[in-house]
Amino acid sequence: MRTPWASVLLVPPLAMILLFFVAPVLYLFWVSLHEASSSELYGAALTVQNYVGVLGDSFYLAIIRRTLGVAAVILGLCVLIGYPVAYFVALQPPRRRMLVLLLLLFPLMVSNVVRAYGWVAILGRRGVLNTSLGSLGLIDGPLDLLYTIPAVVVGLMTILLPYMVISIANTLATLDRSYEEAAQALGASPFRTFLHVTLPLSTPGVASGTLLVLLLTLSAYVTITLLGGPRSKLLVSMIYDGVTAFQWPHAAALAFILLALALALTALILSVLRPGRVQGTGR
Amino acid sequence: MRESQVAARTLRGSATAIAFFLIVVPILIVVVVAFSPNEYFEFPPAGFSWRWFVEFFRLANMRGAFALSVELALLAATLATVFGTLGALYLARRRGTVAALLQSLFLAPLVFPTIILGVALLLMYKTIGMPVFPGLLLAHCIVGLPYAFRTALASAQTLDPALEEAGQSLGAGPLRTLFLLTLPLIWQGVLSGWLFAFIVSFGELNTALFLTGPGLTTLPIEIFSYLQFQGSQLVIAAASTLQIALIVILVATIERVVGLGRIIRAR
Repeated sequence: MRTPWASVLLVPPLAMILLFFVAPVLYLFWVSLHEASSSELYGAALTVQNYVGVLGDSFYLAIIRRTLGVAAVILGLCVLIGYPVAYFVALQPPRRRMLVLLLLLFPLMVSNVVRAYGWVAILGRRGVLNTSLGSLGLIDGPLDLLYTIPAVVVGLMTILLPYMVISIANTLATLDRSYEEAAQALGASPFRTFLHVTLPLSTPGVASGTLLVLLLTLSAYVTITLLGGPRSKLLVSMIYDGVTAFQWPHAAALAFILLALALALTALILSVLRPGRVQGTGR
Repeated sequence: MRESQVAARTLRGSATAIAFFLIVVPILIVVVVAFSPNEYFEFPPAGFSWRWFVEFFRLANMRGAFALSVELALLAATLATVFGTLGALYLARRRGTVAALLQSLFLAPLVFPTIILGVALLLMYKTIGMPVFPGLLLAHCIVGLPYAFRTALASAQTLDPALEEAGQSLGAGPLRTLFLLTLPLIWQGVLSGWLFAFIVSFGELNTALFLTGPGLTTLPIEIFSYLQFQGSQLVIAAASTLQIALIVILVATIERVVGLGRIIRAR
């Protein structure tokens, strides 16, 4: 709409996003720069101690390392499993491809708490896996599968995998096949064609899938809590614990450390995959 | 066919089978167990019964959480759709830095870690004394906004600007043009955006985690606190199955009204 009064259209959505998204996040940052207070939400004096304290504490550093490790394994598994699946999906005829993509999309619509509960039902002491292994006589007593880091990895990986598959499949499906045909006509083996033509051309899909999975992994508090229990906490659990203990400036600082981590990893992933070069921006 | 091609095909096929197995089985187990007549978790269940669904609706807190989730999703999706459509109509034909910036701002909640938004909103609400329900509603609205905005934007961009000009040159005011011309042309995109915002709100965890209050809990959060504090009771499986059932009904509606293709592109 190009009429003079068109700006009126922009006012409500812009006001909402500024008031209830931008403003609270800025306010949280402001609070993270203040002392703790026992009577107020935060103290009066400005300080960077909330950040220095966390980054100088070996306990929190270990949690951050664990968070990075879990995220790296989940991303690696998602790419390794997701890429061939996406390739399979992209090779289907259009109508069937839609159907398969819908099958992948549906689980994403189910609340993560329900999907995590499914894994609790599988991995629990009286869960599906332990009872079936037990009745086959393969184990003597139930294995402690739940409340471990591998449980968090397997649960989150399968919950987020459809994002990776859909992102890569969308790129592969729109890929111009004549590049691959040209490579093969020039004598490249199918494997070389894949490695030097298809794979580089699909990096935008890999990049967007990786970023989605990464960001959702970092803030998946409920899944991490249900599958990891009290002993496999990640950075996001520390934020929640800080809030429930009313340590507002501390929790706020942890939130921005998580955000900084997300931004740094995003930059790292983009600089490794360089999806921009495919879209012709020549980087 | 060469050996390497056979190997590649086997790899793709088996990866797909494994992926679907790992994605679908946890959801399937929950649904099957919800119809169990047993007192405790057992798989496969010994028979079929509705007892856990009856139990679900007997429990006042579960019933309340379900009702609140539906109410919140209806209101939040509607708000998000109205706001998202307004933004989309404004931005549909604008280029340049400001337009690009505004567009990323409306899409930002999609990639921003929502757990941080939850903490930030709780802190702000505590400072300004916001009541629980409107606070929760606004949070769900922000989380749903990008979906509503993006589908409306995609539809608005396919509109031929000549149509609106024709409407206006024939004497229709801006409001008449909007309601009689623009909206009827983009309603499919607007509706699928609404359904998406509804689904996102109905399953929302990360902001609701902080913003629900005593007596005002959404279904996903109620399921979560049950699992955390009362263990894996089968009424949870029934609650989860109801969550899934509502999504199935909505997806079927989207497919009926606007077709599958639009759902995929809406992501």
